[in-house]
Amino acid sequence: MSQPIRNAVTLVVDGREVVAPEGTMLVDAAKMGDIEIPVFCYEPKLGPPVGACRMCLVEIEGIPKLQTACSTPVRDGMVVYTQTDQVKEAQNAVVEFLLVNHPLDCPVCDKGGECPLQDIAMGWGPGKSRFTDPKRHYQKPLELSPLIAIDRERCILCYRCVRFSQEISEDEQLVLHERGDRSFVGTFDDRPYIAPFHGNVIELCPVGALTSYSYRFRARPWDIEQAGSICTLCPSQCNVAFTVRDERVMRVLARDNKAVDDGWLCDKGRFGYQMLSGSERITEPMVRAGDGSLSPVSWEEAIRMAADGLRKAGPRAAALAGGGTSNEEGFLAQGLMRDALGSGNLDSSPNAPDPQLLSELARPELAAKVSDLDYAGGILVLGADPLHEMPILDLRIRKAVRRNGTRLLVATERPSALDGGAATDAVRYAPGEAIAFIESLAGALGAEGYEASGRYAKDAAAIADALRAIPDSVIVWGERLWRRPGAVKALHDIARALQMHQRIGTGLLEVPEESNARGLREAGFLPETGPGYRTAAAGKGAVQIRDGLASGDLSALLLLGSDPVRNYPGGETWRRALASTFVVAFALTEDESAKHANIVFPAESHAEKEGVVTHPDGRLQRLRRNVPLPSGVRPTWWALAEIAEALGTNVDYGTPEDVFAALCAEVPFYGDTAYEEIGGRGLRWQERDPGSSWVPQPTGGGDGTGVPAYAPPEGEGLVLGTYKDIWAAEATRRNPSLRFLMPTQRLELSAKDAKTLDLANGDPVTVSADGSRLEARVSVRERMRPGAAFLIEGTETDNANLIATGEPRRITVERRPEPETNGSASGGGGNGRARVVATPMPAEGAR
Amino acid sequence: MAAAPTAKETRILFRNIDEPELASIRTYKELGGYQSIRKAFLEMAPEEVLKELEESGLRGRGGAGFSMGKKASFLPRGDMDKYLCCNADESEPGAFKDRELMQKNPHQLIEGIIIAARAAGANRCFIFIRGEYDLQGDILDQAVEEAYEAGFLGESVLDTGEQVELVVHRGAGAYICGEETALLDSLEGKRGNPRLKPPFPAVQGLYGGPTLINNVETLSNVPHIVGSGADWFKQFGTEQSPGTKVVSVSGDVRKPGNYEVELGIPTRELIEGLAGGTEERAIKCFFPGGSSAPVLTAEEGLDLPYSFEAMQEAGSMLGSGSIIVCDERTSIVQLALRTAKFYHHESCGKCTPCREGTNWTVKMLERMIRGEATPIDLETIASVQKNITGNCLCVLGDSMAAPVGSMVEKFRPEFEEALEKGVPSLNGRNGGARSGAAESKGRRARREAEHLTDAGRSR
Repeated sequence: MSQPIRNAVTLVVDGREVVAPEGTMLVDAAKMGDIEIPVFCYEPKLGPPVGACRMCLVEIEGIPKLQTACSTPVRDGMVVYTQTDQVKEAQNAVVEFLLVNHPLDCPVCDKGGECPLQDIAMGWGPGKSRFTDPKRHYQKPLELSPLIAIDRERCILCYRCVRFSQEISEDEQLVLHERGDRSFVGTFDDRPYIAPFHGNVIELCPVGALTSYSYRFRARPWDIEQAGSICTLCPSQCNVAFTVRDERVMRVLARDNKAVDDGWLCDKGRFGYQMLSGSERITEPMVRAGDGSLSPVSWEEAIRMAADGLRKAGPRAAALAGGGTSNEEGFLAQGLMRDALGSGNLDSSPNAPDPQLLSELARPELAAKVSDLDYAGGILVLGADPLHEMPILDLRIRKAVRRNGTRLLVATERPSALDGGAATDAVRYAPGEAIAFIESLAGALGAEGYEASGRYAKDAAAIADALRAIPDSVIVWGERLWRRPGAVKALHDIARALQMHQRIGTGLLEVPEESNARGLREAGFLPETGPGYRTAAAGKGAVQIRDGLASGDLSALLLLGSDPVRNYPGGETWRRALASTFVVAFALTEDESAKHANIVFPAESHAEKEGVVTHPDGRLQRLRRNVPLPSGVRPTWWALAEIAEALGTNVDYGTPEDVFAALCAEVPFYGDTAYEEIGGRGLRWQERDPGSSWVPQPTGGGDGTGVPAYAPPEGEGLVLGTYKDIWAAEATRRNPSLRFLMPTQRLELSAKDAKTLDLANGDPVTVSADGSRLEARVSVRERMRPGAAFLIEGTETDNANLIATGEPRRITVERRPEPETNGSASGGGGNGRARVVATPMPAEGAR
Repeated sequence: MAAAPTAKETRILFRNIDEPELASIRTYKELGGYQSIRKAFLEMAPEEVLKELEESGLRGRGGAGFSMGKKASFLPRGDMDKYLCCNADESEPGAFKDRELMQKNPHQLIEGIIIAARAAGANRCFIFIRGEYDLQGDILDQAVEEAYEAGFLGESVLDTGEQVELVVHRGAGAYICGEETALLDSLEGKRGNPRLKPPFPAVQGLYGGPTLINNVETLSNVPHIVGSGADWFKQFGTEQSPGTKVVSVSGDVRKPGNYEVELGIPTRELIEGLAGGTEERAIKCFFPGGSSAPVLTAEEGLDLPYSFEAMQEAGSMLGSGSIIVCDERTSIVQLALRTAKFYHHESCGKCTPCREGTNWTVKMLERMIRGEATPIDLETIASVQKNITGNCLCVLGDSMAAPVGSMVEKFRPEFEEALEKGVPSLNGRNGGARSGAAESKGRRARREAEHLTDAGRSR
């Protein structure tokens, strides 16, 4: 289904001629003529209008009754009045009705000063209420969730939050109970509303009924400043606005950008700001003494020591960058490594993308953008679980399915949040066997050099039939497919076989593992590939860096917000490697890897950084400093430039903008993009010359062929796969309000395997493979492929990366005795999350 | 009191209503039932059936009085899933005609549904029956089963290859589900809230498919129209209101009950003739079409023809055809409160004017009855009714505003009197009303606590 073409129609609103696209709702069309029609329930982001609040009644010539402007599409020649006596009477009436049960406790209400109800009551209300009877009373506030308080007296029953829960996030937890003026918003059986996007209801609420516990009573609108930036906690790179009071971030709000986030935020992005001013933050350079303790040093001293250490290592130095690293920082760091140290050992991912393929896939004609999903005929989610890896994409895909009837196909190793509900087809391959499925799919689609046979031939044929039947499909694929380059090669050939390069609105969209993965690649933070995907001198990738550090071949490591001990497979090996190496780390807090750093530099948070990041669909987006740097913290780009200068390279940048200009000079498809052009909404380089006509130059890497055929791991036992959980992240650990969401390790099993192993949900087990072991609890899941098992990466204890190697491997599962439940730290068997979920909300009193 | 006028029923739907065992398919067939369905399926094309219905001028008996055939003709043609819903959620105070029709003659309804389904091209039909109609639901279940067994329902109706499926669905106790779009939401398993119109159900109804929704009585007329022809049907009633109407008469009459009469007969014949009139008391007012119709005084209404057009002209409506008679003993303020309370209780809460307007009206009337209201309150009551009217999402709000508004308008002195002294209880007749002065402090505190518990659920 392609985007409908809409003709312009002309109508007259209050005597003003307005031109608007056909099908536009009158409320929106009136805005084009600078006429505001007040609304409460209308919110286009929530889907079709419901006409519940009745605030937007207007007079339309030829229709005797007043009509709701939110639900009336414009017609050519329509004549509308929004100011007549009849309309004013109705508006006064609705405001008066709305205030009948509203407590008008504005002086103590968080929403006061930024409240649509206040504004509309002032602008369109009668100014005085005739209501003299007692108002509705409820116990208040109640804990709707550990993050949100609900005040049901203030609620004007506009249905927005309920519609969000039912139709946007589709968690279906919020409902309206009771009827009439006794209606109230709540959850079934008063259970806490726990869902990854639930914070959005706070922003949707047009009154102060839903407030955030972490912002409640912290500031009034006249105390705060608000400015925009980008959240770089995940690859969604949502556009946000930070609410700042007294130089501290107090709140994160969405900054609607249809091209990126559709105006939604996940709870991690929304509530993950307490860490920015938390006491655990590193705010000055520090040096580790022999006894492991850190002591502060001056910036000059730290830069000198870091430069000395790196100089000593020279070509034996290596660098890793994390997802929060900006393009400028990545560019500077790769220059530092390559030019000053002569080392090409740098990487930004554990997955080793193939340079040649990477630049092929960067071709503008093969790229899908986020908004293409809206009107895609079909979406194939391949090897990715958007909910955990790029959460906002999950909402976007649901929207396409719900509103435009997009057909959703899922092919993953682990059950995803999308199948079972939205998806019509779901293929489940064994952990690590993506390549077998993709090659069969390529064969079924007639791509040259592939056969439509193999283990997954039947599944692949069904998906191929579906894809062939839908002309405009988008394939959303996970970065992990790079772990077997042949898989991405086959994916590329599938895109060609589907003629994606010749069609508009179709293409590939990669879900990277880290936020600015794409920007770091474009800035050349990859072994063998320099800025703009140009060939660079050979170097080691993440896995070789680990082994090199462990064996002593490499002797120094620069970490830019990267935490390989926690986030990369083989965490234990990383730990040992880091322990014996000279490590310089730029870090927000002392994370698992920074614990082994000899020199720690304080890093900037995403609310403090100036720079550019690249969205997975190629959109350059600007990070802007919303809060001043904490005292003692200096910009990372500056520190990197200083280190490079100390190492003898001639770098002379006054601002991050200068760095970006230098980067642009090296990246042909960026052209001469300026900061101003990127602006507040970002700019896809594919849509601007010279990026739009960019053609990759052949690079030095392989073409993905000659990869040995995949063979399942030998031996007996379940095959282990690992996955990222949205909450198994540093942001969860460092934000007090989110801590309750930190998962403890669980072993996901199919019902069949659970039965064979005589295990049930919640049973404690020990999982081991080749000597490494961890503890977990069993979680039996639907739609699991028998023979597969999954563990979460990045948990605080029993991290799956202790066992995982990045390759599928066999594991042994043994029941272990139930740990003592006396509240002491009991290894990995804690049940912090389960406890919260099971705790009933404070009772509302006798019903 | 004038002598009871000559009054007689004209029975079409009620033709064999007193026949025992009419609810069984055997008796229904013996008495000529399931003949029209043969005609409709074996001798007529769907378009012809539809044309017959359109020509008959049959108007919806559920309240709005819209032409049934025209409504059916709005459904798009073509091959798609189309639905027919029989609205059997009869819940309006004063209305009980569908109950009798379903209880005593379920097959007449089922036959009507099957024929209407053919006319509209719908093959999936539902009877959405009020949950409290338990007995009638059981009877319908049984009748539907019999109709399936007899081959009138199923994959191939009368072996024609035409499929018509029929399911009886029981509501969960909400008046609002009688509103056609709320009915659809409820049937889909959602909260029964009205939907925004347009799109109208004929275009986008149940599960997004074109849907025809008709009242029980409307559909019960269908076999007769198809069996005997539109011209035959039009002999009855008036030009604009053809046919007969089953009228539920209740309130202060000697013989409350359902009476089937030709549309257009004098209202007096219904009230004073068939229903036996009051116990020698003057009629103060009556609702001509259920509790949502503006009341008419005896002078205004008794001599009007009982037809859609006459009632509309008199500023009220025929609605579902339910007459509630109130004699001279009735306190209009109490009546207004009783009416408002019903709609307050049943308002779904989706749209603001209805949700808050019904609540506010009840509170003001309650105060008035206690003798605690001021003249401003009387103005406010009238103004609130006006502010509700026409501004709501569905007609429920208007359904309170219209009768309450009419009472304030027509019996203003009675309200003014209540401002002075409240409304005393009349032999317990008015629901134990009491004047504010007579109420003890403790009693009042208790009542207010009850009120809080009821409205706020906070105690």
